[in-house]
Amino acid sequence: MWRVVATPYATQFRHIAAMTSPVISLSHINFGPSHAPILEDISLELKAGHFMGIVGPNGAGKSTILSMLTGRLQPDSGHIDLFGECLKRFNRYRLLKNIGYLHQLHDYTPNLPLKVRDIVAMGLHDYAKPLWQGFSSTSHQYTDIIQALQYVEMEHLVDRDFRHLSGGQQQRVRLARALVRKPKLLLLDEPAAALDSKQQQKLYTLLRQLCDTQDIAIIMVEHDIAAITGHVDSVACLNRSIHHHAMKGEQIPEDVWHQMYGQHMHVIAHDTSCIGCHHD
Amino acid sequence: MIEFLQQFFTSPVMQDALPPALFIAVVASSMSVMILAHRLSFLTVGISHASLAGLGLAIAFSLPLLPTATAFCVAIALLLAALPKQRGISEDTGTGLLFAGSMALGIILVSQVSRNQVDLFGLLFGNILTVSTQEWYWLLLIGCIILFAFITMARAWWSIAFDPITAAASGLAVSPLRLLLYGTVGLSVVMCVKLAGIVLTTGLMVLPATCAWLWGRSLMSLWLLSMGFAIIGTFIGLLFSYSYDWPSGATIVLTLCIMFIMSWGIAWLTQRNK
Repeated sequence: MWRVVATPYATQFRHIAAMTSPVISLSHINFGPSHAPILEDISLELKAGHFMGIVGPNGAGKSTILSMLTGRLQPDSGHIDLFGECLKRFNRYRLLKNIGYLHQLHDYTPNLPLKVRDIVAMGLHDYAKPLWQGFSSTSHQYTDIIQALQYVEMEHLVDRDFRHLSGGQQQRVRLARALVRKPKLLLLDEPAAALDSKQQQKLYTLLRQLCDTQDIAIIMVEHDIAAITGHVDSVACLNRSIHHHAMKGEQIPEDVWHQMYGQHMHVIAHDTSCIGCHHD
Repeated sequence: MIEFLQQFFTSPVMQDALPPALFIAVVASSMSVMILAHRLSFLTVGISHASLAGLGLAIAFSLPLLPTATAFCVAIALLLAALPKQRGISEDTGTGLLFAGSMALGIILVSQVSRNQVDLFGLLFGNILTVSTQEWYWLLLIGCIILFAFITMARAWWSIAFDPITAAASGLAVSPLRLLLYGTVGLSVVMCVKLAGIVLTTGLMVLPATCAWLWGRSLMSLWLLSMGFAIIGTFIGLLFSYSYDWPSGATIVLTLCIMFIMSWGIAWLTQRNK
């Protein structure tokens, strides 16, 4: 009797908790050996619709944070909450269904004969279904694939062989694969690396729109703070630990840059809207 | 020609050999697509040679031949899947290590039994013409398991072959799926050893999809083309084997090689004329 009554309440509570709680909550995360830690005491919260950029030097642990959020790496200590639930081995696959991920390790692209639509289809929740259940061009999955390709202006190449695309076009198709699953959280590791400046700006504008209109939370690792500053809500400065988390309108003090990149660097101000610059 | 074909189809040996040979072709060509996608050609070499140890154990301890070889091959395949991650050994090194070790063990075991007890030529180069009813049932069982695994997991395996990091991040259980893939490849190798022997198994596991790779544009088209090439190659190979009394496994593999060369030539000419 108790079980029958308790289950719906438990489900309801979990649902309400998931709606009100942050999309991501990292609490005192440590990772790596104690003599050379990769991440130290990382605490971070991200609400739905928030667009956060992470900047930092090479080896700062930016990609490691994203790998932890996708469950590929386990922290040595600390706590990760995703969508109001503690990320554990048993619920990992369920929670990951709400995440779109674009990693930076695209040096090796296997020589598989695949059309653009096949790549995007791989992002669908039910892609790994048996072969007798196909993806016909009239199915709603196909509509989703086309919509995702429209976001990145690649719908006209839907039937093109992926191997024949340029690096920038391939990157846009990979982004469409991350978007086709309609994620609540997007994790992007240097998504603009292979794009020209025009496509970079289009990408950032699209990501801003996704946050505003669909309440998607985004974490984006980037090196060029000046390029993203007009689009993001906040910037976290990471070098093993978070040295500063600047919100929109706030400026990052010069000593934070020195802590991250060393004393030899000089900060050059862009304009007053730039989060990264300090204006006297 | 018609008379020859009539003879071929009514021959009791071919009536027994054709169904298992074509069935093995269908199963091997299906897995062939995944072997190429995941770059597991060397793994098939390793497992097929390691199967000699399984066969040697079966002969030495009077165990059923195919089931013992099957268990051994799957165990070796799973060990190879787990070894690199656990010990920091590259997959190539691990395969070479187990391949040489198992082969050495197999040679020692087989050398201890009399020549009458073991058909060494059949083990090394295959002999589908002497498949017993019991062996045929065993091949049917493991073949159906492989085909079921392929049909249900092909898309997941395909996605992992393209990008394992994103596949894992999107909720696919990459490690268990990879283990299943290696185990299924192990099973497929055992089937092919019966048809093409330890030495030529890799040809049967790699060539059908290699031919299809030149024409296929999706997982489905690759699979169907790979099966088509394997069925035609096996049939023509058996025809020649019957006609000239050549070893069946070697003739099939050679036919598939010729088909690949022709396929590559036609693909090259088509590209050039575009």
